[in-house]
Amino acid sequence: MHSVLAEDVTKTFREGKDTVSVLRGASLHLERGEVVALEGPSGSGKTTFLSILGCLLGASSGRVSIAGEAISAARPALLQAVRRRHIGFVFQQFNLFPALSALENVEYALNLKGVGGPEAGRQARALLERVGMGDRMRFLPRDLSGGQKQRVAIARALVASPSVILADEPTANLDSSVAGQVLELFTELARREERSLLIVTHDPRVRRVADRVVNIVDGRIAA
Amino acid sequence: MVDLGLKTLLYDKVRFLITVSGVAFAVTLVLVQGGLFVGLLDNSTITIEKFGADLWVTSKNSPNLDFVHQFPESNLYRARSVPGIERADNLILSFMQVALPSGAEETTVVYAMEDFGDWGVPWLVSAGSTAALSSGPFVLFDESAARRFGAFEVGDYREVNGRRLRVVGKTSGAKSFTTTPLAFMDYHRAQELQPDLLSGKTSYILVKLEPGADVNAVKAELERRLPYNDVYTAKAWAARSREYWVANTGIGFNAFLTVFLGCLVGVVVVAQTLYTSTMEHLKEFGTVKAIGGSNLDIYKMLAQQASIAAVVGFVLGYVPAQLLKPVIARADLKLIIQPELTAMVFVGTVILCLLSALVSFRKVAGIDPALVFRS
Repeated sequence: MHSVLAEDVTKTFREGKDTVSVLRGASLHLERGEVVALEGPSGSGKTTFLSILGCLLGASSGRVSIAGEAISAARPALLQAVRRRHIGFVFQQFNLFPALSALENVEYALNLKGVGGPEAGRQARALLERVGMGDRMRFLPRDLSGGQKQRVAIARALVASPSVILADEPTANLDSSVAGQVLELFTELARREERSLLIVTHDPRVRRVADRVVNIVDGRIAA
Repeated sequence: MVDLGLKTLLYDKVRFLITVSGVAFAVTLVLVQGGLFVGLLDNSTITIEKFGADLWVTSKNSPNLDFVHQFPESNLYRARSVPGIERADNLILSFMQVALPSGAEETTVVYAMEDFGDWGVPWLVSAGSTAALSSGPFVLFDESAARRFGAFEVGDYREVNGRRLRVVGKTSGAKSFTTTPLAFMDYHRAQELQPDLLSGKTSYILVKLEPGADVNAVKAELERRLPYNDVYTAKAWAARSREYWVANTGIGFNAFLTVFLGCLVGVVVVAQTLYTSTMEHLKEFGTVKAIGGSNLDIYKMLAQQASIAAVVGFVLGYVPAQLLKPVIARADLKLIIQPELTAMVFVGTVILCLLSALVSFRKVAGIDPALVFRS
């Protein structure tokens, strides 16, 4: 069974009286434990595709299933439920909550997924230990380096063991050596725990660690 | 559970301070204006409360305590014959002129009875006593008269309606709605000073019932025996008097306007700061959705922030309102912040702050999910 299956996905937006087609039949599948790099020029539809696979947006047409669950734009509650159960996100800007410590950032994500009380604290600490942030748990994001922030973000993405992790330019704001460490950690965690990892990137280092590189051009996955 | 709403609110302390300051300012404004309104209305009927009469017999269709017409004082005997009445006495209330040393004149509200002692009015005598009133041309003034009549002491003389009266005492806290100072004198002295208006006339008959007497039955019997008078319970008479001032002067509208403006200031400040904060944290709200949260989770967070701003703002607004009491008292005004007013302002503050958050709710509902990916 594919972790991610997208077939002939289209997405159109209305801009005033005009209709803009951003995705024009994009198809992609990811196997369990597979690391795929998604590349494409600016405006090619990468972010929209990522948003649809992450259940943040519904497709205009086509078929999308995540971990075997078919998703539909007509059912926003289903999108949220699938996102909550199966998807973890890592962002280019880390998107940590500045008012929360590293531990609280991870714990809050657990709370949103229904894990509360001391159990949330225990799991959050374990996740931060796994990404090598055990000694920075009480730090606020402003007191962490870029690499440390991304490690916290990875720990947060791993909350509740999602089957799919979607990463948007995770190394873009990191210097070369830190980016390498983060990628190594990222891919190692994904493969060892059999999570599918889709990384949107322009970074050639990602290409080197990915099992497969796919390109998106003009709203279609290029052959 | 991690409280993202609270932590985010407290993280930006300056913004939080601005928000609660706006709420506090509005709360102080509403409490002070509301308290002054209640204080003025309390002044307008404080004598009704302090006399402790069960029933007030007034002239027909009198609009309020101060604007009363006179009626024959002999009605008192008909009133006294009604079963169930323990005591009934005439009370004169009339405006008289006090000549000032400068040659100018000021008005005083005169309360005159044969014997104040049995009615407990005036209730605070700070110097002298009412006992001497009937034994000569004497008067008691409330201390608040000093502002209008100049400083005076027991033993001084003041000319009232052209007749020199010796001040035999001072009272405290006896005020009227119009802030006209109150004077207390003997019933017959008042009739002497205004013979055209008051000779053989009274303004009220005060009635105290026997223990266990049915107030409605006695009231009905008084109305039957005195068809050219009205009879009110003390509570109804006070309510009618207050309603008059609220409906027929600008005070009601003025109070309403200030309260409205106070609420508006509070709503605008809270709505603006919450909205600005929401706009600045849109990406964080988008992240909440991306990591598994729903719009409802974000609405709850915004509502919590609005509620915290309301509660903290209320406390910070309530304290200065209380501290203003002595300052306002120096201007001979009363600031009465009753528990009912406090509760009303508190509930209103919370509701208005929550309504202010609705603007942000709409913004959150329309968040573009792809926002989380933007740099």
